[in-house]
Amino acid sequence: MLTSRTFLKRTRAGAVVKVVREHYLREDIPCGAAACRLCPPRPAGAGRGLEAQPSGAASSLCPGPHYLLPDTNLLLHQIDILEDPVIKNVIVLQTVLQEVRNRSAPVYKRIRDVIQNPEKHFYSFTNEHHRETYIQQEQGESSNDRNDRAIRVAVKWYSEHLKKIEDEEKIQVIFLTNDRTNKEKALEEGITAYTCEEYIKSLIANPDLVDRLACVSDEGKEIESGKIIFPEHIPLSKLQQGIKSGVYLQGTYRASRDNYLEATVWVHGDAEENKEIIIQGLKHLNRAVHEDIVAVELLAKDEWVALSSVILQDDGQNEDDIENEEEKENILKTSVNKDMLRPTGKVVGIIKRNWRPFCGMLSKSQIKEARRHLFTPADRRIPRIRIETRQADTLEGQRIIVAIDGWPRNSRYPNGHFVKNLGSAGDKETETEVLLLEHDVPHQPFSQGVLSFLPKMPWSITEQVGVHIADVSHFIRPGNALDEESAKRGTTVYLCEKRIDMVPELLSSNLCSLRSNVDRLAFSCIWEMNHKAEILKTRFTKSIINSKASLTYAEAQMRIDSTTMNDDITTSLRGLNKLAKILKKKRIDNGALTLSSPEVRFHMDSETHDPIDLQTKELKETNSMVEEFMLLANVSVAQKIYEEFPEFALLRKHPAPPPSNYDILVKAAKSKNLEIKTDSAKALAESLDKAESPEFPYLNTLLRILTTRCMMQAVYFCSGMDNDFHHYGLASPIYTHFTSPIRRYADIIVHRLLAVAIGADSTYPELTDKHKLADMCKNLNYRHKMAQYAQRASVAFHTQLFFKSKGIVNEDAYILFVRKNAVVVLIPKYGLEGTVFFEEKGKPTPRLDYNNEVPSLTVEDTTLHVFDKVKVNIMLDASNIQHQKIRMVLVEPKIVENDVPANLSTEISSKNEPEKKKKKLQK
Amino acid sequence: MASVVLSEAEKLYIVHGIQEDLRVDGRGCEDYRCAEVETDVVSNTSGSARVKLGHTDILVGVKAEMGTPKLEKPDEGYLEFFVDCSANATPEFEGRGGEELGTEIANTFYRVFSSESSIDLKSLCINPREHCWVLYVDVLLLECGGNLFDAISIAVKAALFNTRIPKVRVLEDEEGSKEIELSDDPYDCIRLNVDDVPCIVTLSKIGYRHVVDATLQEEACSLASLLISVTSKGALTSMKKVGKGSLDPESIFEMMETGRRVGKSLHIALQKILDEEESLGTSRQKVGFLG
Repeated sequence: MLTSRTFLKRTRAGAVVKVVREHYLREDIPCGAAACRLCPPRPAGAGRGLEAQPSGAASSLCPGPHYLLPDTNLLLHQIDILEDPVIKNVIVLQTVLQEVRNRSAPVYKRIRDVIQNPEKHFYSFTNEHHRETYIQQEQGESSNDRNDRAIRVAVKWYSEHLKKIEDEEKIQVIFLTNDRTNKEKALEEGITAYTCEEYIKSLIANPDLVDRLACVSDEGKEIESGKIIFPEHIPLSKLQQGIKSGVYLQGTYRASRDNYLEATVWVHGDAEENKEIIIQGLKHLNRAVHEDIVAVELLAKDEWVALSSVILQDDGQNEDDIENEEEKENILKTSVNKDMLRPTGKVVGIIKRNWRPFCGMLSKSQIKEARRHLFTPADRRIPRIRIETRQADTLEGQRIIVAIDGWPRNSRYPNGHFVKNLGSAGDKETETEVLLLEHDVPHQPFSQGVLSFLPKMPWSITEQVGVHIADVSHFIRPGNALDEESAKRGTTVYLCEKRIDMVPELLSSNLCSLRSNVDRLAFSCIWEMNHKAEILKTRFTKSIINSKASLTYAEAQMRIDSTTMNDDITTSLRGLNKLAKILKKKRIDNGALTLSSPEVRFHMDSETHDPIDLQTKELKETNSMVEEFMLLANVSVAQKIYEEFPEFALLRKHPAPPPSNYDILVKAAKSKNLEIKTDSAKALAESLDKAESPEFPYLNTLLRILTTRCMMQAVYFCSGMDNDFHHYGLASPIYTHFTSPIRRYADIIVHRLLAVAIGADSTYPELTDKHKLADMCKNLNYRHKMAQYAQRASVAFHTQLFFKSKGIVNEDAYILFVRKNAVVVLIPKYGLEGTVFFEEKGKPTPRLDYNNEVPSLTVEDTTLHVFDKVKVNIMLDASNIQHQKIRMVLVEPKIVENDVPANLSTEISSKNEPEKKKKKLQK
Repeated sequence: MASVVLSEAEKLYIVHGIQEDLRVDGRGCEDYRCAEVETDVVSNTSGSARVKLGHTDILVGVKAEMGTPKLEKPDEGYLEFFVDCSANATPEFEGRGGEELGTEIANTFYRVFSSESSIDLKSLCINPREHCWVLYVDVLLLECGGNLFDAISIAVKAALFNTRIPKVRVLEDEEGSKEIELSDDPYDCIRLNVDDVPCIVTLSKIGYRHVVDATLQEEACSLASLLISVTSKGALTSMKKVGKGSLDPESIFEMMETGRRVGKSLHIALQKILDEEESLGTSRQKVGFLG
């Protein structure tokens, strides 16, 4: 039977169009129940459908066998529950599925995955095309009401249909909805309907599920209890108008890591002024959460403030402590220099929430038997979340995942629900999982679909000849599942004791690893050079390499250094080394920066994999030799692909930092009577070389570490979308990544571009679409950033483990930054950084005097300057398992009238501080 | 215009018959042929109707689109007519052959609807000077069996009766910028009042008498005809003489009288059938072009 659906829509140009779609109704759509003989059999491969004898949790409300049928809102909000293995035999209507797809893509993907899982027995019923369940929108009925009615009609049809099955035990259909009017209507129509809460609570055997209920409060209920803390959010339509007319500014909300009462909003668009807006105080932050897209209204100029240098952590246990908050807010407002004031605003509405499930730990309520607890996310930028759970005792000390459900106006904290328990805190497996999840690193094992694109083993070369970089693009063909997965992952992530591969292991450690004495496909860049290391000719070619020897850096170094060895390999190594030195000198003369950052490595115990010793990485001459040639290859390839594809070459740039970034460096150097010139990269490099002090040899390193903090992030970009290609750190006008296609996806694209450029491979449409390429760069930049953070977090975690076994130690440290109420110190021996607080709960606050100009901090009578050498006492503070941290206690200089270790404690947060950790200069 | 070629003897036979109030197909001089009307035949229009009058077959679609009001009438919407003479109707319309006739018919309808009272154009205004509804009335001639004007006017009236214009709301914010919002209920729409939409009655002078609803053969015998538009209340809104012959004032008055009388009964019959169709609602089985 044929019918048609008619609807009106507005086009972008503003016209109203009537759209008519043909809609066919069928009678042969199966109901999905295994015991059903009335429906035509389901096509093969359409999943397993609903069980004849529904297994799953026993419900006290409905003891008989039953199927569940949720409505749209229930599915959207309670997807965590539905994903639980206990919940089986659920009918998902097409109406519901379509609504979910329109409203939330991530939930849609999750429900699709659940439907595909044969264990879950979820069945998607095409009710919109079933002759008996299709309904038309009636006069005066909104499309939402129509969909609700369609769902009820389908439930009714199901219950009548299942009655016809000749079976001793009748299967019931239970309609789950949290919408009160919908439920009432359903009951009127004789449908068994429960709210999600009623049903889940009736699952007596699985009480833990109750915790995972999302608490979605009714709008009406909200107002009754408690006083309103936050101003109302302005509705979206008004916001959009406001943004159009310029009253509000749209931007990404970035909570401060150090101060929960402060955040910045990065305004979207190209506007030069008001790019970064400061938001201060609980009311102005107005329930925004890190990474949300928000609308901001600027405050009047006389209300503008400067970023405070105070470090504040939200540790109030009592949630109604508003007065206390106001007190804290006052700390932020200290008089500052007029020219330090920055645009300040307040959040007036949320354009898009960017909530995801958060890892963290439970702060158990002090009230016994309480069910409401606060959850502290591992990421300090995320506010604490209130959850309801009855298993607080078991969850205490465990790493758990919690999702936010909403943030009512009268609540100090957002409401959420428990999703998953990862394992006990401090456990290595758990912590690794946490940091992978927190940094959004895709780390699931490769799926069968991806693996199917690997070549069959044993693999041998068909017919080709060569040298240099493994030809990964030969194995990863554009567009297949393997390619898509590696594009999504973007990069291999290296953790202290674990590696999350970008491509399956067969490629990364066998076929694309240039082992000695076997044939491997390669992509080569071959130069002809004279003795002054000037390039005479550059040639690119696909090749086959049969490596004569695979040497580690140390082995190669040994060969070069030993006077006795004079074989072919060794002499050619020496030649290479000579050329590399010339290349390096040229580069440095051009103004390339050599910056240091303490690289830490762990010696692992081979049995337990626990770190037993820390070591800062040592660089050999051969490291530098290989690096020089890699850089040269990257530059040559960049030139070649840009010449061939000026519009869609994938390049890498490193923007020069704005001069104001260097303020802190210049000030710090000045305090030691040194001058740092920052007008060009070359001047900076030279003045850094000169900045030495005979009595303080470590000063130069410290200055270089500070310099790295001033730098911008290097990023990938598409040449057709940008016009500034300069790589500041390497002082190269053009640069790309070519040399590591096994661990970076950008290199694969560069390989493909180069292959097309030299005619060795054919092109494909996405490769020459600059918008697609720009999107890809965005993802790659994001993945690289997250991978870096994850890596640092992993180092921090292992540092913690190390100090756990090591006990308490005293070490030398240098002050890196001075803040208003704390100092940040660096311990060179461990490459470790930490913040020293000079205030502590329950103790009298020491007299603090902060001088912004020098900068220096006077605690009681001791003045601390940048670069001061101090001695600290390091230990692991496990008193609060919630946040294990490394505590450092200042030993020298001693602060008068205060008892060390009680008052001056330094803390290192181990997990949540990727940004403050060294910002490594990216090449 | 589509025409047939008749011999002198045939013409004489028709003329003599009419003298006796006997027409070739058996009708009287003031009788219409059997007419079929069906509305809502084209689903992607705002309103549509198909009319078959003998062998004359007309399809009319009305499309409502947003536009800007005309300068001289800032608070009114307007109608646009376009007539497409399909070559299906007669081979003469092939290529650009039907264009002249199409323009002539369209111009006639502009005149018929120029009367203020025919349709409430103010109801088509969304906000003065900025937005209004423009109704594009597209007429398609599928078959010509004589008396095109009358058949088209019936079809236009039926299509306008069937027209549903989506309701829009104009939202205005503090800064005065206006946003047009479309209702999400497809049933939420405005209907036009077609009570005063006139129908055209064509009276053809044949011999000493005049007939209504002439067939092609009769049209071939007529030298002059009078085209008058009549509202349901019997008011004449426009008049036009077509054909190369002349008419004396005496017979013009006679023809006007007849036209008014016939027109009134035509309106009554049409309104009755439209109301009847409307009352069937959505359950009505659509005939379309299968009937």
